[in-house]
Amino acid sequence: MTASRAPRAPIHRRALGRALSRIADATVAEALAVLEGDGRARGEVWRCGITGPAGAGKSSLVGRFVNARLAHQRRVGVVAIDPSSPYSQGAILGDRIRIDAHGDDAELFVRSLASRRARDGLADNIANVLALLEAHDFDDVLVETVGAGQSQYEVRELVDTLVVVLMPGAGDMVQAVKAGILETGDIYVINKGDRPGAKEMVAEIASVLRHPQGPNDWLPPVILTSALAGDGIAELDAAAEAHRAWRARHVDADSARRQRRRAHVRALVARRLAEVIEAGDDSLWDADVASAYHAVVAGLDYPDQ
Amino acid sequence: MASQLQGKRILIAKPGLDGHDVGAKVIALALRDAGAEVIYTGLRKTPDYIARVAAEENVDAVGLSILSGSHLELVKLTAEALKREHADDVALFVGGTIPRGDWDALKASGVDCVFDSEMSLEQVVDEVARRLA
Repeated sequence: MTASRAPRAPIHRRALGRALSRIADATVAEALAVLEGDGRARGEVWRCGITGPAGAGKSSLVGRFVNARLAHQRRVGVVAIDPSSPYSQGAILGDRIRIDAHGDDAELFVRSLASRRARDGLADNIANVLALLEAHDFDDVLVETVGAGQSQYEVRELVDTLVVVLMPGAGDMVQAVKAGILETGDIYVINKGDRPGAKEMVAEIASVLRHPQGPNDWLPPVILTSALAGDGIAELDAAAEAHRAWRARHVDADSARRQRRRAHVRALVARRLAEVIEAGDDSLWDADVASAYHAVVAGLDYPDQ
Repeated sequence: MASQLQGKRILIAKPGLDGHDVGAKVIALALRDAGAEVIYTGLRKTPDYIARVAAEENVDAVGLSILSGSHLELVKLTAEALKREHADDVALFVGGTIPRGDWDALKASGVDCVFDSEMSLEQVVDEVARRLA
């Protein structure tokens, strides 16, 4: 826990809001031109991802969790991602209603992002967005993914701690195993804990989690919560602190940095691929698949770099 | 009308105490369908909250839906709150049950455009797109 610290400059919401738009809207070429910005020294900023299927109550849980983090005198930045429409490219961004319902905490900043071209539950340039928040004196940076089903590996690589939120009655164990979610999470939350089957689900998830291979491995806890009633939030907060402390002791900084950079590069290449494919005119798709493939790959590189 | 508003971010908010947000939601969806990223904050938000969200989300426009009759006061408070957040350059729209006689006063408080129930969704989207172009 961080001790109460000296008063710091208030968050300039307008300036940070603008800076986030600049980086979120940047093309791949522009994003590459921005200094990578690993943020402040490792250990100072804690990045936490919150993922799970649509309807599990992620945003409400984030709202409760944020209050617990603020109570530690930590400055908290939240990025909440909602899907873009594939038809209009528009989006309804409604997560924050549940995150900052009171909206008057001086140490909280919430930003909504549309997923845009990203197909991994995240958003364009998310790695740069998170780095920018880190550079702005936040202690905790939380990112809530879109309601992910079977594709939440990317967020795993961008955060220190991944919280997977599930709810009772939302598909059986086979679905959860298939989705790979039982391999990615550091902390599992069974939300809507007042529903029938919640306690059984906690036991069931705990029984199939990958067990630690060595004494220094992390065993993900499974926590029963009710975001609506505020139950289980203290336990979640304690689990988050325990995971943070475990990482500080057992996770090698260099390999963590390499993993994060790999995810960042992969996201940039995927985005560049989307740019090239969008820019390709119809004649490109009249060629056979091999020719079109080579043309697209050749287009990935920048002539001006 | 698709993609008229692509790349624009718009906050749709309901200040004050009236409890009807069907109109606000219909507008939010129409703006989404025109390509905008719409931040929707739900019912009964304070002007301070609305201004804070406008700044954090770096929106191009704030659309207020007001059916309570307190539009003159709520618009004035919201415009002042936007100024405190250094966001008074953001376009401000108002819709709802607004008597024509009040339009000039609203515009004097900083409102760029007033929408009433006489206007079609297409007209609203076109006007928003024109103002944000």
